[in-house]
Amino acid sequence: MAETIFTRNFHLADSHTLERYRATGGYTALDKAFRMEPAAITEEVKKSNLRGLGGAAFPTGVKWGFIPKGSTAPKYLVINADEGEPGTFKDRYLMERDPHALIEGMIIAARAIDSHLGFIYIRGEYVQPWRVVSAAVREAYGAGYLGKNIKGSGFDFDIVIHRGAGAYICGEETGLLSSLEGKKGWPKIKPPFPAVKGAFGHPTIVNNVETIASVPHIINRGAEWFAGLGTRTQGGTRLYSVSGHVAKPGVVEASVSITLRSLIYDHCGGIAGGRKLKAVVPGGSSAPILTADEIDVTMDADGLKNVGSMIGSAGVIVMDETVSIPEALMVVARFYAHESCGQCTPCRESTGWIYKMSRRIVEGKGRKEDLDTIIDVAKRGAGTTICAFYDGAVGPYVSYIEKFREEFEALVRSGTSA
Amino acid sequence: MADAARPEFTAEQLAEVQRLQLLYPDKRGALLPVLHLAQDAFGYVSLEVEEYVAGLFDLSPAHVHEVATFYTMFFKAPVGRHVVSVCHNLTCHLMGAKTIVEHLQRRLGVDVGETTPDGRVTLLTVECLCACEVAPMMQVDDRYEGLLTPDKVDRILEGLR
Amino acid sequence: MPRLTVDGKEVEVAPGTNVLEAARQVGVEIPHYCYHPGLAIAGQCRLCMVDVDKVPRPQISCNMQAAEGMVVHTQTERVVETRRSIMEFHLINHPLDCPVCDQAGECWLQIYYMRHGLYEPRMADEKVHKLKAIPLGPHVMLDAERCILCSRCVRFCDEISGTGELGIFNRGDHSEIGLFPGKTLENAYSGNVIDICPVGALTDRDFRFQVRVWYLDSAKSLCNGCARGCNVDVHTSRRRPHHNQGRRVARLKPRYNPDVNQWWMCDAGRYGFGWIDDESRLLAPVVRSDGRAVPSTWDDALSALAAALRRHRPEEIGVLASPQMSNEDLCVLKQLVERLGLSNVDHRVPPATPGDQDDLLIRTDKHPNTRGAELIGLGPGAGGLDGRAMLEAAAARRVKLVWILHHDLARSAWPASLVERALEGAETVVYQGTNANASSGVAHLVLPSAAYVERDGTFTNFAGHVQRFRTALDPLGEARPDWDILTGLGRALGFTDAVFGAERADQVFQALAASVAPFAGMSYRALGDRGLGVRT
Repeated sequence: MAETIFTRNFHLADSHTLERYRATGGYTALDKAFRMEPAAITEEVKKSNLRGLGGAAFPTGVKWGFIPKGSTAPKYLVINADEGEPGTFKDRYLMERDPHALIEGMIIAARAIDSHLGFIYIRGEYVQPWRVVSAAVREAYGAGYLGKNIKGSGFDFDIVIHRGAGAYICGEETGLLSSLEGKKGWPKIKPPFPAVKGAFGHPTIVNNVETIASVPHIINRGAEWFAGLGTRTQGGTRLYSVSGHVAKPGVVEASVSITLRSLIYDHCGGIAGGRKLKAVVPGGSSAPILTADEIDVTMDADGLKNVGSMIGSAGVIVMDETVSIPEALMVVARFYAHESCGQCTPCRESTGWIYKMSRRIVEGKGRKEDLDTIIDVAKRGAGTTICAFYDGAVGPYVSYIEKFREEFEALVRSGTSA
Repeated sequence: MADAARPEFTAEQLAEVQRLQLLYPDKRGALLPVLHLAQDAFGYVSLEVEEYVAGLFDLSPAHVHEVATFYTMFFKAPVGRHVVSVCHNLTCHLMGAKTIVEHLQRRLGVDVGETTPDGRVTLLTVECLCACEVAPMMQVDDRYEGLLTPDKVDRILEGLR
Repeated sequence: MPRLTVDGKEVEVAPGTNVLEAARQVGVEIPHYCYHPGLAIAGQCRLCMVDVDKVPRPQISCNMQAAEGMVVHTQTERVVETRRSIMEFHLINHPLDCPVCDQAGECWLQIYYMRHGLYEPRMADEKVHKLKAIPLGPHVMLDAERCILCSRCVRFCDEISGTGELGIFNRGDHSEIGLFPGKTLENAYSGNVIDICPVGALTDRDFRFQVRVWYLDSAKSLCNGCARGCNVDVHTSRRRPHHNQGRRVARLKPRYNPDVNQWWMCDAGRYGFGWIDDESRLLAPVVRSDGRAVPSTWDDALSALAAALRRHRPEEIGVLASPQMSNEDLCVLKQLVERLGLSNVDHRVPPATPGDQDDLLIRTDKHPNTRGAELIGLGPGAGGLDGRAMLEAAAARRVKLVWILHHDLARSAWPASLVERALEGAETVVYQGTNANASSGVAHLVLPSAAYVERDGTFTNFAGHVQRFRTALDPLGEARPDWDILTGLGRALGFTDAVFGAERADQVFQALAASVAPFAGMSYRALGDRGLGVRT
């Protein structure tokens, strides 16, 4: 596969500038979009099979369609730039190297859903990306791409950049909205759904950075082209973040139909130091782990779902034979316990408990029944919480133990501890 | 002299607060940006800062305290001139974060969560900063530093006054 | 009006009703913590989950609107297992405080564990520790370890009292309920958070360690602290007189009445019952002659009062009735007053410190039955003296008998010197009431009234709502309900009207309904637990 969309300018030192963006065809999709009916824009995105690239893989065009028809309430477009899923860094790259794709995509999406105010919620730790995006937004205002009557179209659109302050849960759609409203990042109970009642009580669409950055390309070259780049159920290329024990970690752009094996061995140089592959986390830390035997799977939403994992944020973490899976579980369990927002009982209480158990196991004070307790508690909590954070924690809790059980059992003593 | 014990924004800063509050459909949306502003101005988000900011938003202090204690980037106690946050999440752990943390503890003579006696550096461990391609990595004030080795860490520390 | 089925039972509900309430209407109780009908939906505890046909996973019922044709199942195996799981999650970090926790016996962790849990506990790691026994304010004690973070108290302070003192700080299992450091929970309704806290996280400082709840009896009653007439339950400790420092009334809890007080009551009312078991309670009739107080009998006391009333001309008698008295009491008093031809009658005594009022429950008028006194007509008759004029006349020895019911004139806005001269000037001062005070201390005849919790009766609130209060305790000592004292007096005076033969409060109320138009058609049965408005 040769075609690159997102990363086409990444190698250029000035790829983030308006000048470079325009020189390589930027802001032409905008002209086209202004000549389309808003509903036609949504239709095009639907046909492209673009699915959310932040983690939930929900069909983007379908999501835009959830805005109540004929609603005269103000509508908001909110960009989820709160990248936080362990193993993922592609949005950071996009914001630092191609911020105008995000901006142009935002304007087109705003036109589709009749929004005149957009927010970019960017995680607080991303200071450099925030500076680059802020500069790009200023450039866009200066060139008349933002503000009132954009390029004589009669369409107004403003962007407010909002910094987070350190909370993974603010990457959850409604947790982000609560944080945007100046509260704790507590996800909201649904119904009502954000498209009906979201930020500040008004209809809101939340989309990931990469998802929106896809939109100018879809408008420019057409839904069919985009759909054809991928699988039957998911269109386009996407950015894979590959890290861990590979020779060449980094961002890889590939069709969503690429296999995990190809990603690791063809694009990232295989396992560093010539060691053996042991396991791969394919879609950010919330994705159930895959063994070395399971890497012949296509890295699209349905491909991974069919093998009991998920594509999530496409954060690929590669582990070689030196890795202790019980230690990895402890690290990941510590993460979920630290990031649980605390709003609902199953997640709040069990993430801390499971971390304690996983730590005890690593310290050699584990009991045999701890393994089944972790799995049972996790499965009992799955599906009972306000948001999918806990289901994301269940991914590693269950899959690490189930797929590497012997390694855990070797660490735990039988019977009760002395 | 305004500080975290006696916080008071300058006229300029208050104008910025108002500007921020007007950006949002409900002025409460500006709370996080204003707390960032306050932390930059007063050094950290003390209880006095929380109560002061609550007054600017017509919020009960309890609700500002909720926000300040929820987010990790708002410091509730004074920090050093430099804050070093080492990621200890999955990829960084795989790539040797533990070694880096231990090295920093030895070099700085503090435990994680503590500040050097001369007030120069606060050492923290944090969750994924999403720079896994350069693991092990850390955030030093505003910037990311990756592909860390003990030597590289020493060089970075030398540059922190 | 959507019609749905819950566990096979059909029910039709008002639009907007949630499934949890719909189920309740057909007697299906869905366990829950964070949901409260008077507060915004939180959806945090996850206990109220149910199965709904055509919905793949169980859903919380508090946030689900009942829809036409919905089929709800609250007892599927999956729902039962989910409840068991949610109970386990709630108890993971909960301290085993039952032996020292006031909530024991009315704790919803205990109750739901026994009903829906009954699993073998397996949490063997160190639990999260938080602050314990922290006074939040004058009335509320916090134990943060026991808290299940349902957020009811936070929502109460935001939505009902509007004071916003409480918040949930931090994240994850270190989340903690609390005040902004240094502040106190001092709003006028703080005690309500104790009621709505399902567990022993927020407990009553006044009730702390006094008596176990399973020793308490309950009676439906009213608060007599102001003209709102909040509905309450009076909880009494009769079986363990050595607990609760011997006090019979243990606590008051608000009782739901959508037309009067919803689910709430104010702190002044909640904690204002101390007078009932105070040592200042009057226990026996007393006759004072030559400065010496001598215990008397009811027969003697009533004869003496009858004689005194007969001895003076009607214009020489002044009656200061009280809006503390029930409709029944005032009805009999009115009959007496008319039979005796008295026109110096009043019920209004201005308080020294006027009360405050708010938009929620609290009324300036700190009496429960001013409206009743007005409607029954305990005011000056034609040419008669009002309260103040009565006192002035007594000071000038034109009024020779002053009959004070329940008032402590030393606490009134009337000048102390006037009160003193009036009580000195009158030949006979009669005091009838529950507690000794400055006025009873100088009375020649003291008649002990039973407290309202020691009898049946009704009050009429400021809006004309007539409500019942029911007997919670036996009267202390020789004290009798006012209406009973007054019917006895009537008989001692030789009156034969039917009302003076009444032996029960409801009989007096019947007489009231028959004689005073606004109360026409009412009966205790009709009043029920929620009361009725007077006819205008």
